[in-house]
Amino acid sequence: MLDPAVHAQLATILPPSALLTSPEETKPYECDGLTMYRELPAAVAIPENETQIAAILARCQAARVPVVARGAGTSLSGGALPDKRGVLLSLAKLKRVISIDPLARTAIVQPGVRNLAISEAAAPYGLYYAPDPSSQIACSIGGNVAENAGGVHCLKYGLTVHNVRRVRGVLITGEIVEFGSDALDSAGYDLLALVTGSEGLLAVTTEITVKLTPKPPVAQVALAAFDDVATAGAAVAAVIASGIVPAGLEMMDRKATRAVEEFVHAGYPLDAAAVLLVETDGIADEVAADMAELTRVLRESGATSIRVSKDERERMLLWSGRKAAFPAVGRLSPDYYCMDGTIPRRAIAGVLGRIEELSDKYGLRCANVFHAGDGNLHPLILYDANVADEMHRAEAFGAAICELCIDVGGTITGEHGVGIEKLPQMCVQFPPAELERFLAVKAAFDPHSLLNPGKGVPTLSRCAEFGKMHVHHGKLAHPELPRF
Amino acid sequence: MSTHAELRFARPDARDVADLVTRLTADYGERALTSRAIRDQHSHGEGLADVGLPDVVVFPHTNDEIAAIVRLCHAARVPVIAFGVGTSLEGQVAALYGGVCVDLSHMNRVLEVNAEDLDCRVQAGVLREQLNAELKGTGLFFPMDPGANATIGGMASTRASGTNAVRYGTMRDNVLGLTVITADGRIVHTGGRARKSSAGYDLTGLYVGAEGTLGIITEIQLRLYGVPEAIAAGVCQFETLEGAVQTVILAMQHGIPVARIELLDDAQMDACIRYSKLEGFEVKPTLFFEFHGSEAGVAEQSAQLQAITEEFGGSAFEWATKPEDRTRLWKARHSAYYAVKALNPGKVVFATDACVPISRLADCLLETKADADSTGLVTPIVGHVGDGNFHLCVAFDPAVAGEREKADALAQRISLRAIAMGGTCTGEHGIGVHKLDALKAEHGEAVELMRTIKRALDPNNIMNPGKTVPH
Repeated sequence: MLDPAVHAQLATILPPSALLTSPEETKPYECDGLTMYRELPAAVAIPENETQIAAILARCQAARVPVVARGAGTSLSGGALPDKRGVLLSLAKLKRVISIDPLARTAIVQPGVRNLAISEAAAPYGLYYAPDPSSQIACSIGGNVAENAGGVHCLKYGLTVHNVRRVRGVLITGEIVEFGSDALDSAGYDLLALVTGSEGLLAVTTEITVKLTPKPPVAQVALAAFDDVATAGAAVAAVIASGIVPAGLEMMDRKATRAVEEFVHAGYPLDAAAVLLVETDGIADEVAADMAELTRVLRESGATSIRVSKDERERMLLWSGRKAAFPAVGRLSPDYYCMDGTIPRRAIAGVLGRIEELSDKYGLRCANVFHAGDGNLHPLILYDANVADEMHRAEAFGAAICELCIDVGGTITGEHGVGIEKLPQMCVQFPPAELERFLAVKAAFDPHSLLNPGKGVPTLSRCAEFGKMHVHHGKLAHPELPRF
Repeated sequence: MSTHAELRFARPDARDVADLVTRLTADYGERALTSRAIRDQHSHGEGLADVGLPDVVVFPHTNDEIAAIVRLCHAARVPVIAFGVGTSLEGQVAALYGGVCVDLSHMNRVLEVNAEDLDCRVQAGVLREQLNAELKGTGLFFPMDPGANATIGGMASTRASGTNAVRYGTMRDNVLGLTVITADGRIVHTGGRARKSSAGYDLTGLYVGAEGTLGIITEIQLRLYGVPEAIAAGVCQFETLEGAVQTVILAMQHGIPVARIELLDDAQMDACIRYSKLEGFEVKPTLFFEFHGSEAGVAEQSAQLQAITEEFGGSAFEWATKPEDRTRLWKARHSAYYAVKALNPGKVVFATDACVPISRLADCLLETKADADSTGLVTPIVGHVGDGNFHLCVAFDPAVAGEREKADALAQRISLRAIAMGGTCTGEHGIGVHKLDALKAEHGEAVELMRTIKRALDPNNIMNPGKTVPH
C-alpha cells in the first residue's frame, strides 16, 4: 500500500482517473510479457506530460518510493514487473509523433508511440523506422529504448542504440536531461549509449529522436532448406563471410517450421531439419546481383532447395511464417518460455546441438527460431505450467542455455534485457570488477536505487549468495565447505 | 546528482611524484623515460599547442603492466595520461597536472582476426593504416579513417570517425568490446564477440569517447567489413559552395548509399592542389565521393548522383578508377590539415569540428563561411558533409596581436551555432581541453551527470584530469 502522505502528494499532480490504487484497477499492470512473475503495485500513475512525470519522480525520490516505468508491457524479461512498495508509471498517454524531418530523416516521438506507428507516420515520406521487434505492432518506442530492442532487420540496420539520436528523460530527482543530439554525435560521455538498454534503471524517457531509413525500393527473400542443423549453421557463417550484409538472416528448426506451416501455410518444406530466410534489399540491380550471389553461397553450403520470392506477395508469405513463429509454437503446448542469448556466429551449430541434448536432459521440447545473422538465439521451451515441476524444469533449462551462451563467448541476452529473469546469470557472465562498474553507474544516476529496483544488475551480495550455490563446469566454489 | 559533484584539480605532491618516478624507472628500466626530449614529445597533440609536460613516460607491454602502473598512480594520487601517437586535436594528451604518461605504442599487435565473424581484436597501439595492411589478403577492411594515421586506442577514446561515417558509422558503431584498465588498476572487459547484448549497461559505449578520463583502453574488438566488389571514386566541381552543399543534401534525401562524400571549399581545394600536387582541378568548391557495392549497384548510384549534380551546376565527373588514382585522391583529402599548415608557414593552424542535422547543413555552412570570411583569417572548409559534419581549419599568426583571440572567438561561435541548430560542438575530434565550455552549452544538466559518473569511476580523479568533463 502506498504511504497516504505520498498518495496525497501524487493526488495533487494527477487527476483521480490517472492515479489507481484499488486491486481491481492495478491488476492489469501486475505483469508484462514474462507472465511467470506477477506483482501488484502500490499505485499506478498515468501521467500525460513531462511536467507531471518530473513532479511524480521528485516526490517519490523524496519519500524513497520505488518507481517502475511501463510502456506497452510487452517486455519478455520482466522489465515492467511492478514493485509492490512502489508506483507503476505508465507512459501510455505519451503517444504523440511530435514531428518528422524528412530531410534529416529523423522523427521526434513520445515514448508511448508504438514502434510500427513511427513507420506508419513516416511512410508518406518514403521512410521507415528500421528496428522491428516481433512485437512491433504493440511495443512502444520507449520500451525499445529501455531494452535496446532489435528485430529481424537489425543485422543490416542496427539495434535501437544505432537508430536513436537523442533521448530526453527525467532523472529520479525530477531533473530533465537530454542525452545525445539530433546530429550524428554529441559531445562528452556517451550517456545516450548508457541510457539505451538501461531497462528503466537510470531515467524515465519522455521524448526520443529516432533515425528514419529510406524504404528500399526492392526487397527479395530466399528460403533455403537444409538436411541438418549444423549445415544450416555453417551456411549462416558462409553468407556473412561472403561480404554481403543481408537485410535479414533468420533460422528456424524443424519443430518451428512444422508448427508455423500448420498455422499459416506459407509453403515451408516440412522435411527440412532447418530453414534459413535470407533477405536482401536496395536498388533493383543491386538486389538482383546480391541475390544471385547469396543463392550461390547457399547452394555451395549444402542447401537442398532454395525458393526465391518472385514478388512482394510471395515475400510477405515467406516472412509470414517467421513472424507467426511464436504464436504458432504457442499452439504446440500450453506454455512456452522464450529465451534470448547471443553467441558468436561460428558457434551456432555446436550450441544448437547442445540445446538438443539439454532438451532430452530436462524432458522438455524446444523449438528454435532466431536471428541467425546476429547469432541471437531464441529457443522456445515448451512446458505446461499445470504439470508439477514443468515450470521449474523450464527455468532450469533456460538457465542452462544462458550459461551455454556465456561458455562460447556470448551473452545471456541479445535483445530482451535482463529484467528480473536473468539476474542470476549476470553473476555468471560478469566478474565483480565489471558488476561494480555497473553499480557505480547506477549510483551516479540513482543513488537510492529507486528506479526499477531489483532488476537489470544484481547486487554483489546477491551474486555472492548465488555463487555459493552455483556449480560452473563442475567447479564448485569452496569445495571444502560441507553442503546438504 | 542532488549533491554537487566537484572535480578537484591540483598538482600532486612533488615528493609523491618523485617517489613514483623512482619506482617506475626501477620497475621498467629503459621503458620508463624522463628525458626532456621524450617528455616534450608527449606533452601535446596536434592543433593548438596546449603543452603539459608529464613527469615520466612509460612504455608498457601488457595489460598487467598498465594495471600495475595505474595502481601505483591510484595509491599516490598522481595523474595518468594514456598516449597513442599524439594526433588528437583538442589537447587530449597534454599532462596538465604532470604525472605519468602511458605510451601504448609498444602494444601494437593485431591479436586476432575472425574473418567469418567479421571482427578482430587489436591492441590499443595498432595504427589504423597498419591494421588495414595486416588485413590485406583477408578480403576485409576497417573503414574508420580520421585524417591522421592514429592509433585504434586513440580513435576509440576520442570517438573518431572519418570520411566514410556516412556509410559505416563512427567508432561508436564499430567498437564491439574493450579491455579497459580502471582507475583503481583493475582489468575489465566490456562487450564482446556477441553482435548484440542487452546485458548490463553499455560500458563499451561509456568508455568509447571518454578520452582516457574513466580508464585506459588497452584492447579493442572491432567490426570489420568485406572489401566491396566494386569501388568508384570521383570528383565534381561547383561554381558555388551552396551548389555543392545542396547536392549533398539532395543525395542524402534520396538515400543514395554513398560511402564517402566530402566537401572542400575553394580555399581548401587551393591548398590541396598545391600541397598534394593534384592535377586537372580548378580552385572551386569541390565534392569528392566514393561508391561501394556490386558493379551494378555502383553504376546505378553514380548515375543517380550525376543527375543531381547537374541540377546544381556541377561539372562532369572526373573518375578515379585505378586504385592508385583513388589512393592519391583520398591521400590529398586526408592531408587537408597538413596542406593548410604547410602553406601557412609561421602560423598556428587548428581544426574546428561541428556537426548538425543534415537538414540544417546548408544554413550552418553558409553562415559559418560568411562569419569566417569576415574575420580576415585563412579558414578553409572541409567536411564529411554526408553526415552533417564539417571542419574549418583556422590559421592565425601568433605574432600578430589579437589574431589568436579572433580565431578562438570564431571557433566558439561555430560550436554555439551548431548547438543552436540541434547539432553538436564535436562530430569526431572530442572535447579535450578546448571544448569544455562548449560542452556545457550543449548539455546543461547532463554535464552534472557526467561529473557524477567521472567521480564514481575515478574517485581520485587521476585519469587524464582536466579533460572532457568541466570542473
